[in-house]
Amino acid sequence: MANRRLLVKRLKAVRNIRKITRTMELIATSRFKKAMDRAAEAAEYTRKISEIVGDLGRANLKFSHPLLERRAEEKKSVLLVLTSNRGLCGGYNASVLRQTIAHIRSLKEKGIQYSLEVSGKRGIKFLNFQKVPVAHSYTHFEDSPKFSEVEVLASRYIDDFVAGRIDRLDVAYTQFVSSSKQFAVVESILPLSSLGGEKTGKAESAVDYEFLPSAEEILSEIVPAAFRAKLFKCFLDAAVSEQIARMVAMKGATENADEMAGSLKQQYNRARQAGITSELAEIIGGAAALE
Amino acid sequence: MSATTVEGKVSQVIGSTFDAEFPEGHLPQIYNALKIEDLVKGNPVKVTGEVQQHLGGGRVRCVALGSTDGMRRGMTVVDTGKPLSVPVGKATLGRVFNVLGDAIDGRGDVAYEERWPIHRDPPPLESLSAKTEIFETGIKVVDLLTPFVRGGKAGLFGGAGLGKTVILTELIARIASAHGGYSVFAGVGERTREGNDLWLEMQETKIGLTERSVIEQTCMVFGQMNEPPGARLRVALSALTMAEWFRDATGSDTLLFVDNIFRFSQAGSEVSALLGRMPSAVGYQPTLGTELGQLQERITSTRNGAITSVQAVYVPADDPTDPAPATAFAHLDAFIYLERRISEKGIYPAIDPLASSSRILDPQYVGQRHYDVARRVQRTLQRYRELQDIIAILGVDELSEEDKMVVHRARRIERFLSQPFLVAQVFTGKEGKITPLADTIRSFEEICDGKWDHLPESAFMYVGAIEEAEEQYKKMQQQS
Repeated sequence: MANRRLLVKRLKAVRNIRKITRTMELIATSRFKKAMDRAAEAAEYTRKISEIVGDLGRANLKFSHPLLERRAEEKKSVLLVLTSNRGLCGGYNASVLRQTIAHIRSLKEKGIQYSLEVSGKRGIKFLNFQKVPVAHSYTHFEDSPKFSEVEVLASRYIDDFVAGRIDRLDVAYTQFVSSSKQFAVVESILPLSSLGGEKTGKAESAVDYEFLPSAEEILSEIVPAAFRAKLFKCFLDAAVSEQIARMVAMKGATENADEMAGSLKQQYNRARQAGITSELAEIIGGAAALE
Repeated sequence: MSATTVEGKVSQVIGSTFDAEFPEGHLPQIYNALKIEDLVKGNPVKVTGEVQQHLGGGRVRCVALGSTDGMRRGMTVVDTGKPLSVPVGKATLGRVFNVLGDAIDGRGDVAYEERWPIHRDPPPLESLSAKTEIFETGIKVVDLLTPFVRGGKAGLFGGAGLGKTVILTELIARIASAHGGYSVFAGVGERTREGNDLWLEMQETKIGLTERSVIEQTCMVFGQMNEPPGARLRVALSALTMAEWFRDATGSDTLLFVDNIFRFSQAGSEVSALLGRMPSAVGYQPTLGTELGQLQERITSTRNGAITSVQAVYVPADDPTDPAPATAFAHLDAFIYLERRISEKGIYPAIDPLASSSRILDPQYVGQRHYDVARRVQRTLQRYRELQDIIAILGVDELSEEDKMVVHRARRIERFLSQPFLVAQVFTGKEGKITPLADTIRSFEEICDGKWDHLPESAFMYVGAIEEAEEQYKKMQQQS
């Protein structure tokens, strides 16, 4: 029969793992609520901003802003990868990184130079292992990224873009659609391409704005703000998705551990019973032979 | 040993054992063969027994080597004065025998020149051969991880239905057909049908490129499941005695296949209680170790000639700590353990690469490169096995990048250990593959180095060398 002591040891290990996964599940659930609220608020803000920009666009003004310009030749690009600092979140990081690697490959094929910026220990570790050079890495974006922290990045990107040091900014992150639907994407957010056309239909009953002091001045304020909001939203989406992924993964893991503990316990009981039976048989047999 | 024949009477019949009474001063010696030939109600009763115990008062206790049906007290017993003997020599080639050395293939009597007693001493210490040489089989997993020793003993351990007999037949097909020497097959307590299949197959298979069939260089001895325990207990010795003659008289390399050594122990346990011995652990006979030792110590190579033996060992209830397989284990040079979990994955031969081992997997014998590759393969698979609980609970994504790589390669190695068999061609629909040792080592080395990481797992199933995996992958791509 299977070694009983070994079974007990494994059973203990599985139960310990279950304790951890169960706790992680509960923590993720509570964090998910908070992150979800923040993301919902930010989504609201982003939507309003794009609405205004949309209205501006409909005002039929000839506007142009450096952040909106699409460069004829894209030479240098930045790829920002958003992963988590912690593991135990199922395929969350793996799917973002898979997208990243695919994107890097396509950039290489097109001959575009890229510099990689990674947030999250998991992503940093993976890219180090794959020996992909990383220009910047951040580990300070936790479960609730602050706007002030993201703004630092955003401002740098704006400066670099306007100065022509970069021609393009892509973000690889997990997009949050609903609590049951998230998927990893690589989104190009600089140049800001589809500012106005995002939410059509809704703003049909457009209000006629009066621009003071002028539409141009408002634009120069609102376009960078829109970019910052968009970048911030990426971070928030990633944070929510991470918690959801963790919740789901840990729930599954807890179930798996339960199942495994059950089957191990069964094996152990069976081994124990078999041991007793054979000992009894031997004693009785021995006694009978002595008579 | 007195050669005079003495007559006695049957005094008691208990199952497959019987007691006989002899006149004072004419007690037959232990292991002497006793013969009973009588007519009971018009039916002939013909039984040979072997003396096992002296009971005192002129009585001896014997194991019957045939059915005791129809035996009754008072029947006349003849002491032959010598142990059971079987015909040996070249006349035995191509024939099939039972435990008593009688031909059972329906081709008439054997024109033997000599008979040897089945109880003999193992060769003395000083005449044992000290040569150690690898014995190539062309089966990847065997050659890499459990290399056989020329003139050594290899065991195939496995529970019910894991393919012990298939691997044994495969080895016969691979080794015996390429082998110049003689082969002896002992069928101990296995299915009679399998014995018959093997016999027919051997008549069809040709040795190498010659026109002669394998059976012409082989002799077979059967004491299958239908026989009483006494026959199953002694049939291995009968076969071994024939093999010993080839070794000692011709000096050629001899192959001895035994299917299944466990049945030998089992038969011993069946008669043990009837002989009045107290059962020992798990109900086995207290003399389990002695009995097996007497058999196994004779299967050995001397300076004169070599016996290379492959033995199948049934593992009851998949429990290798059971006394019978555990005792057999100690006698073997190479040890192959078949694992149910692997056969459940559909990987055949279902050899457990971690539980199996060989005495000569040592840089001194197989060379540093072979040794290193084998250990790397084992290390990778070992790590994978350790990680399996974590994967089952948390999933592959939670592993570190290094561990993911290990799992990735281990899964490929695991599949690459499968191989299409010559004898299983009808089941798998794939042609059997003989992979030279050099190809085997190179293939595994390259997988460990990560050269073939890009191939999908299924490409590694049932191929020979690694290039065939690539071909299989290309074929798979074309089909989809």
